[in-house]
Amino acid sequence: MTALGTPSAAAPGTVGAAARPSRRRAAPGGRGREAVTGCLFVAPALLLFAVMGLYTVGYGFLLGFARWNGFAPHWDWVGLDNYADLLWRDPVYAPRVREAAVNTLSVMVAVPVLTVAVSFPLAVALSRVRRAQAVLRSVYFLPYVTSGIAVFYAWQYILQPDGAVNYLLGVLGLGSLQEPQGFLGDPATALPTMIVVTVWTEVPVAMLLYLTGLQTIDRGLTEAAALDGAGWWRIQASVVWPLLRPITAIVVLLTLRSALHGFQTFLIMTNGGPGTHTNVLGLEAYRLAFLAKFAPTLGLASALGWMLFAVAIVLALINLRALRSRV
Amino acid sequence: MPTSRPLSPSPGRSSPPPRRARLAALGLAAALSASVLSGCGGASGAGPAAVTMWTFKQSHVAGLRAAAAEFGRRTGIEVRIQAYTPDDAYTIKVQSSAITGDLPDVFEVHSDGEDFVYGAAGIVQDLRGRIPASWNDRFNPAVRRSGTVTQDKYEQSLPPTSTSHGVPKGARYSLPFTIGTFGIVYANKAKLAAAGITRPPATWEEFIADLRKTTAKEPRTGGLSLGLKVPSTGLNWIGQPLAFAQLGRGGYEALYGREKSADWGSPKGTEVLEAYDRLTPYWMPGTQSLTIDDADQAFAQGKSAFDIGGTFTLAFLQEAGMKADDILAFGLPAPRKGAVKDLALGPIALTGLALSGASPREDEARRWMRYLSEPDVAARFSKAASDLSATELGAESADVLGPNLARLMETFRGTPENTYNPYDTSFRPPTLDMDEAGAPLIDMSPLRQTGPAKTGLRLRKLIDSYWQEAR
Repeated sequence: MTALGTPSAAAPGTVGAAARPSRRRAAPGGRGREAVTGCLFVAPALLLFAVMGLYTVGYGFLLGFARWNGFAPHWDWVGLDNYADLLWRDPVYAPRVREAAVNTLSVMVAVPVLTVAVSFPLAVALSRVRRAQAVLRSVYFLPYVTSGIAVFYAWQYILQPDGAVNYLLGVLGLGSLQEPQGFLGDPATALPTMIVVTVWTEVPVAMLLYLTGLQTIDRGLTEAAALDGAGWWRIQASVVWPLLRPITAIVVLLTLRSALHGFQTFLIMTNGGPGTHTNVLGLEAYRLAFLAKFAPTLGLASALGWMLFAVAIVLALINLRALRSRV
Repeated sequence: MPTSRPLSPSPGRSSPPPRRARLAALGLAAALSASVLSGCGGASGAGPAAVTMWTFKQSHVAGLRAAAAEFGRRTGIEVRIQAYTPDDAYTIKVQSSAITGDLPDVFEVHSDGEDFVYGAAGIVQDLRGRIPASWNDRFNPAVRRSGTVTQDKYEQSLPPTSTSHGVPKGARYSLPFTIGTFGIVYANKAKLAAAGITRPPATWEEFIADLRKTTAKEPRTGGLSLGLKVPSTGLNWIGQPLAFAQLGRGGYEALYGREKSADWGSPKGTEVLEAYDRLTPYWMPGTQSLTIDDADQAFAQGKSAFDIGGTFTLAFLQEAGMKADDILAFGLPAPRKGAVKDLALGPIALTGLALSGASPREDEARRWMRYLSEPDVAARFSKAASDLSATELGAESADVLGPNLARLMETFRGTPENTYNPYDTSFRPPTLDMDEAGAPLIDMSPLRQTGPAKTGLRLRKLIDSYWQEAR
């Protein structure tokens, strides 16, 4: 006896028969109506994308070829001048961009390396913990869910001359490591400190990805390696780490992206300072757009943004290529 | 066997939903589309009947609202005051509202700068010839032409990269609202007393000696705070007045010129930078990481003995909990052997009022602007905001303003020869970014990365690049 309302229980022919008439009914004018209905359903999303996505992307791209301060009634078209000015030609902007590029490069090298170096061992350790695993995972994931302006302000206070870090170092008898000007106030420590804070925000997601990857590894592989005489370190280095390379590639890609584009942390915590010692390209683009005191540099900001986009695409392609060759 | 009739279509197959459901879905989709479209629209056409005014100064809000309430009682015209802070957020707000046509009737603007940008963009009205003498003469004589595109300002607007490119000569885009100056030193009286200091320093050397005493007494909290996270503050508020006092007007202006024998890289420039560098041991630790507000806050919390700002800083310090009696305020003192011995800090219009170019309530807005310039209204506003109104308050101004504001006004008194005018920038490259120029100074002091001579050469190179760009 077939239960009413359970199509899977119906004979195949019966289901087909039930479906076919409805299709036939839809054929003459129904399909058109269906299409219209479907279009209307997606219309809000399409409209939003057209306004917020295509329009702004196109607007931004065109702005890269113009000189404008955001107020003037018209743009002055300058062709590729903005790109040339940023890269080599303008005696004011080109040196600034070069200095910011060097800082950005430091961040782009250090952040992915440190993020992987911290998050992989952390994930391995967490996967081995038997007690309070969920609590520990939540604790290590906290930086991600709490990240925001308030947290960066908190970091700023912690790193001040009379902040918690200096205090802690003093209490621990490590006064020689204290930074009298604050860790953000000394050019020697400001950029490394910013890198550490950026890594702190990147580690949770990277750790989660590694944890996910660790759970997918066939236990038989590690047991086989152990039977072959491999120790714990050897198993991690020669079995687990190679198997997690795709995850590492994703982590590196994500952290590169944020190192290249991220500027909020720098804007809030250092504003590129002291002096210009922590200026990065993302912050420079933001400054040109919004902190230029009405100078007509929105076009320069847009051009810099598109150059960063191009670099991000190239890095993503390289990463993808590396990922494919390893998988 | 009975034919089964599924209640829901099998996966992968679809049948049209009932007509009523489709209609409901269509209605919902249409509503969503409409809401998206309406969200893109401006607020024009349905604006409030009241005059709206925007300000970027939170400390002005209470005074303005009190004035608006009184204005409303007298005229029946409602004025709504809205504040957007900090300055950067205000700029972005005006920028985006100019694009969407959603601007207020009256703006508070940074005088002789921001107003010209808005004027060039056509979003504020040219008030030339529309301000009768009976109105304009209420203002302090030093700022009666504020907001006007003078010959100097016009010449500075000529390069296409100038922020005010396109303004016509003689146009007037704002009326002065508050006045003041930079280079005002605030000292914590208790800390001075603890260090045995009983009077304000008369010279730069005495100021350095006082700093030495206060930091000797309190090494961590006896120094000088300044918001060097905004790199221009060191140069604008200390470096330039100091250079003016040390070298006189001609020598000061030549620092920004193209003549290498007199610019920042010259021996004269190095001399000024050496004087500035004498502050290096006495900065509050970490002052280079503080914003202007943070530095003022640190001073108010007793983390420094001295704080440098403008006349406007007083209001902030009082808001931060300091009492007028706790503070000793004085103008930046001149070096003993400088060309200008008795340095005066010229009053400038710090903020002005601009009238929107698209205001539908222009007459009411103008009445409101004029009302704010009335002496009794201005006096009440000054007192409420702890700020100096551009309106002359007459002989009783000391009574109206209180001792601190009155003392600050003393710093304005000078002759053309000994008065430093921070808004006179006619001798500088027109697009010079002062934050950019301030960065080398921070590397010298407090960071000790470079010495005065090298800093002078960096400044020379930077200023040269701006001259090249201007060409």
